[in-house]
Amino acid sequence: MNAPIRCIPLLALIGLLVATPASAADNTDAALLQRGQYLATAGDCVACHTAPGGKPYAGGLTVPTPIGNIIATNITPSTTAGIGHYTEQQFRDTLRRGIRADGRRLYPAMPYTSYAQLTDDDVHALYAYFMHGVAPVDSKPAPTRLPFPFNIRLSMAAWNLLFLDSKPFTPDPAKGAAWNRGAYLVRGLAHCSTCHTPRNLLMAEQSSRELAGGMVGSWSAPNITSDANSGIGGWSEQDLVDYLRLGHARGRAQAAGPMAEAVEHSLQHLEPADLQAIATYLKTVPAQHDPADTRPVDNWGVAFDGIADQRGTALPDDGEQWSGAQLYDAHCASCHQASGEGSFDGGLPPLFHNTATGRADTANLVLVILDGIRWQTGDSGVRMPGFAHALSDHQVANLANYLTLHYGNPAARITATQVANLRAGGAPSHLVALARLAMVVVVVLILAIIVLWRRRKRRRTSSGRA
Amino acid sequence: MPAQLSADIVVIGSGIVGALAARRLAQQGASVLILEAGPRLESARIVAAFRNSPLKGNWMAPYPPSPWAPHPIYVPKDNGYLKQAGPYPYPAEYIRAVGGTTWHWAAQAWRLVPNDVRIKSLYGVGVDWPLTYEELDPWYQEAEEILGVAGADNTGSPRQHPFPMEPVAEPWSMRRFRERLAPAYPVVANTVARNSRGYDGRPACVGNNSCQPICPVNAQYLGINAVEAAEAAGAKLVPNAVVYRIEHDAKGRIAALHYYAPDKSEHRVTGKTFILAANGIESPKLLLLSASSKYPNGLANSSGMVGRHLMDHPSTSLTFYADEELWLGRGPQSPSSINTLRDGAFRSQHAPYRLDFTNISQVYGVTNDLIKEGVYGAEFEKQLRWRAARQVNVKNVLEVLPNPDNRIALSAEKDAMGIPKPEAHYAIDDYTRRAAEVSKADFARIAELMGGTGLRYSAEGQFANNQHITGTMSMGNDPASSVVDAFGRTHDHENLFVCSTGVMPTAATMNSTLTAVALALRTAEHILPAKQARAATAHAGREADLA
Repeated sequence: MNAPIRCIPLLALIGLLVATPASAADNTDAALLQRGQYLATAGDCVACHTAPGGKPYAGGLTVPTPIGNIIATNITPSTTAGIGHYTEQQFRDTLRRGIRADGRRLYPAMPYTSYAQLTDDDVHALYAYFMHGVAPVDSKPAPTRLPFPFNIRLSMAAWNLLFLDSKPFTPDPAKGAAWNRGAYLVRGLAHCSTCHTPRNLLMAEQSSRELAGGMVGSWSAPNITSDANSGIGGWSEQDLVDYLRLGHARGRAQAAGPMAEAVEHSLQHLEPADLQAIATYLKTVPAQHDPADTRPVDNWGVAFDGIADQRGTALPDDGEQWSGAQLYDAHCASCHQASGEGSFDGGLPPLFHNTATGRADTANLVLVILDGIRWQTGDSGVRMPGFAHALSDHQVANLANYLTLHYGNPAARITATQVANLRAGGAPSHLVALARLAMVVVVVLILAIIVLWRRRKRRRTSSGRA
Repeated sequence: MPAQLSADIVVIGSGIVGALAARRLAQQGASVLILEAGPRLESARIVAAFRNSPLKGNWMAPYPPSPWAPHPIYVPKDNGYLKQAGPYPYPAEYIRAVGGTTWHWAAQAWRLVPNDVRIKSLYGVGVDWPLTYEELDPWYQEAEEILGVAGADNTGSPRQHPFPMEPVAEPWSMRRFRERLAPAYPVVANTVARNSRGYDGRPACVGNNSCQPICPVNAQYLGINAVEAAEAAGAKLVPNAVVYRIEHDAKGRIAALHYYAPDKSEHRVTGKTFILAANGIESPKLLLLSASSKYPNGLANSSGMVGRHLMDHPSTSLTFYADEELWLGRGPQSPSSINTLRDGAFRSQHAPYRLDFTNISQVYGVTNDLIKEGVYGAEFEKQLRWRAARQVNVKNVLEVLPNPDNRIALSAEKDAMGIPKPEAHYAIDDYTRRAAEVSKADFARIAELMGGTGLRYSAEGQFANNQHITGTMSMGNDPASSVVDAFGRTHDHENLFVCSTGVMPTAATMNSTLTAVALALRTAEHILPAKQARAATAHAGREADLA
């Protein structure tokens, strides 16, 4: 068995710490590991690099992207399957430049465009943690196999030339320490833009539209700029801190889907000062307004009892014939109450004044109805059941329309076809076809340039002769 | 005629007990088939029907019986399914449907107290069980971890490992009982299969206070969860399959089951091992129905004890107004009880009991009372508010001793499928009645400590039925006086097992479900030992070979 061998780096380090008398160096080492662990949490490395039920950082999670499935790698210090053989320089290049130890390029599913902002000190602490604070796991997940042309990793070199800003974060002396810390976390380590900034055709973040809202699989990551209607302009800093720490801000929104995972694995564990810093920074992100949001997305709807006048009406035998109110009565009202007001303490959220029902884009609402919300806090958990098995596409659409009509943005409509698409994992992406088309265009262009250049050369030669 | 069904293990009944035995066996790789007489139900439809019904207090209302698999209904009138031969009625309620009766239970998941299994030796009454509390302990633990049981440690039932969950939050009313009855009566959280936090994908209790007839959020474990887990493990379920005969071969081994589909078409199911898990009334009914020339008194009945020793937990109660606002109805229906009277030397003289407080909202009951009293207008609203805030109820949960005269027999009357209906012969003896008398002093003392007024004792000699159907297929070491052995195997048929509250030789003072589940898991292990254990043995063998 090689289990004992695997533990040697960690044991050696602990041994070192225990064996030598207490000194500044020991404290530094322990403190360094602790800081590295904190930074790894803030960076939410575990979100992608740990498969459900798998060992921490051993990789294997399949990350669906518009260009195909990317399989997260093992980043434990295993020398055979992980990154145990990385030097600190190689580790730094991976984080900040997207270049692996073997010189190959990473896909930007790994948010190195954000991690490029990391300071040398933080990279050093992360390196120490991943080398000495994480248990090595000697199993390699399946390799990522993307369709042509994305299987050519070298293409990412050109991509990086276009889209990678590899300068580490430089504080803005005109702003306070909290703002700068927040900017560093949001733009860098916490990589909020990875999900919340829209991407262009080549999957690069559109820096001009920072945090204006993006897509994560089928989920939409909302606009979190300072716009009063579309973003979080109306939120107080305390609302933002609450949301990041508790997963919900009362009377505004709650985390679901990938954001619930971010709160579960990362944000709820951050120090209060860091959460405050993130809030401080977010409040200053330039507003990005979506004209579809004619009022704040968390400011729609009122308490409404659509059930009372159903009483005494027999339920149709065919569930497909149930009205939105009857579906609500059967599936939702026991927790969210007859009028959608939730529980007295907000633990079961109201459905009005809730971004879940207030957005013009209803994908997240449908996905929450289908999949529910499940995540764990320290001593309790948030657990809304999903109804994918209990409700048909038609029923989900019927119910969701009841919710948006009475509690949310009444202009937001949902069709059974949309529900079916979301249930199946979202609309298929055309990116692969587009990229192939783009390559044909590029090749044609290059050929055209060559032909033109030769003609010109010929012309020039001939004119020279003349 | 559809293809003949067959499996390694065939389970009759898809209630929580049968389904969890099926799940465990399926997990070990056996092919498992579950036959359920009733239909599949849809949780949302039950919730909607309950919320839409004006009869909130009728817990059977959302569960109308199917014509092919009827079950007893008493409100608005007796449907005559469970015949009463007297002298005392045994108006049991149960649900014949996929998932069984735990669709509407209060999720009480109690263990016995250790002396419950030795009352003959210790107190000279009843019978001893063929196993000890210590033997049951690991099976209780396994059951508790599957069901997600929350509870307090000081209920008289020792344990080796902690509960899977801390107790469910204490409602205000129960807190006030606990504070005001101390130290005379320690009031503790009930042991319940109800989540105090997210567990196994199900949410924590949010206090709808409708545990019966339906937990709308599945915070309490239901038989349907067991069925779904069994199906996920590979078990197959046939609903609407009304088994009417168990067939044996010349050697007395069970060879097949015969069932009717709702159209009365006949089907035969073969298997290697059979588990009868159709509850404490339908199971003995089926054994009696399966009489043959070789077994003229029915199967598994060489002792003549099938159907006998029918037990329940009768209750008498006191309703009164406390001198402060307690507002029953917040949180679960049955959150707390007094457990100090479950055992003691007095058991040689009278039955032990638990004292249980209801936490069911009083608004509905008080409304009906006021209407009956002719109160109306502003006075009605005033009275409703005053009474609903203060009205409370304490009841005893009394042990009944096993008595062969108390029994389930076949009625001469038949149901719509032509199958004889079950018939209850029942009486409540002096041992139990004496305890009811003794507990009146507890009721009075509790009312006094709560500043009680308007005391209303339940009618003299009237006992409420608690639907804890026990006995009828009791386990024991002696084939002459019991139906199954300590592992649930029938003494008469090597490949026929019983998983049911019906195998409990005595009823003790706690709801019987958890004990039946624990015994069923033990039976499943006996039929097919868990792979983990077997794998460990195999592994040890290999290593020994290498060495």
